[in-house]
Amino acid sequence: MKIAIAGKGGSGKTTIAGTLARLLVRQGTPDVLAIDADSNPNLALTLGLSREEAANIRPLTRDILKRVTDEEGNTKAVLAKTPQEVADEYGVPAADGVTLILMGRVEHAGAG
Amino acid sequence: MCGAHAAVRSLVAEMVGGNDRPTILDIEAGLEHLSRGTARGVDTLLVIVEPYFKSMETAARMAELGRELGIGKVFAVANKVASADDEKELRAFCGTKGLEILGIVPQDELVRSAERQGVGPLDIATTSPAIDRIGELARALTP
Repeated sequence: MKIAIAGKGGSGKTTIAGTLARLLVRQGTPDVLAIDADSNPNLALTLGLSREEAANIRPLTRDILKRVTDEEGNTKAVLAKTPQEVADEYGVPAADGVTLILMGRVEHAGAG
Repeated sequence: MCGAHAAVRSLVAEMVGGNDRPTILDIEAGLEHLSRGTARGVDTLLVIVEPYFKSMETAARMAELGRELGIGKVFAVANKVASADDEKELRAFCGTKGLEILGIVPQDELVRSAERQGVGPLDIATTSPAIDRIGELARALTP
């Protein structure tokens, strides 16, 4: 089950995304991961975190990505860790046992 | 958008597709963010649509883009539906676009209240018209 939720700003997509994640768990789907790919992240609040807790979530740092060069000489970014390692390291426990990961922004400190 | 942000976004697909866990992905508002990068690894796209023309037009374009990107299942989910007329208009529009409506979530004072307080609807209630419909949506999406 890999569900993306899209919509205009203000459409309520984040409220539906977070509530859907929590209700899936309540209905018996285990280990639900909620990924917030929005650069203005609000999913945390719908997932029961306080404003303070949400503000203190550690953003991803650049060491999760590495640049690789393909045979045609193009460089692209790929994950430097397994998705499970990223989830373990950056995942935040949220309400109903949902794990939240913020992927909409990356920490600038030390970025080069 | 800076390069680092773009690079991290490009990793979303790897994150989604590279693990076995059921995943809900909240993608950034706006059509331009629905890209090959975020769509890979996703099997279902839910496009949230409100009962007014501009929202319906945008949703139809997002749905079309989702299909072009190869997402297998693309559905509309109507939100903030306040009347039978709203529902009728949404059904008529989605009908002409060949877009299946998987859920209809009503306008709900509880959701507005939760949004005012900056909490989740489920943090202040276990049931409400909107929560119940999202619960039905969850069941419809569960294999």
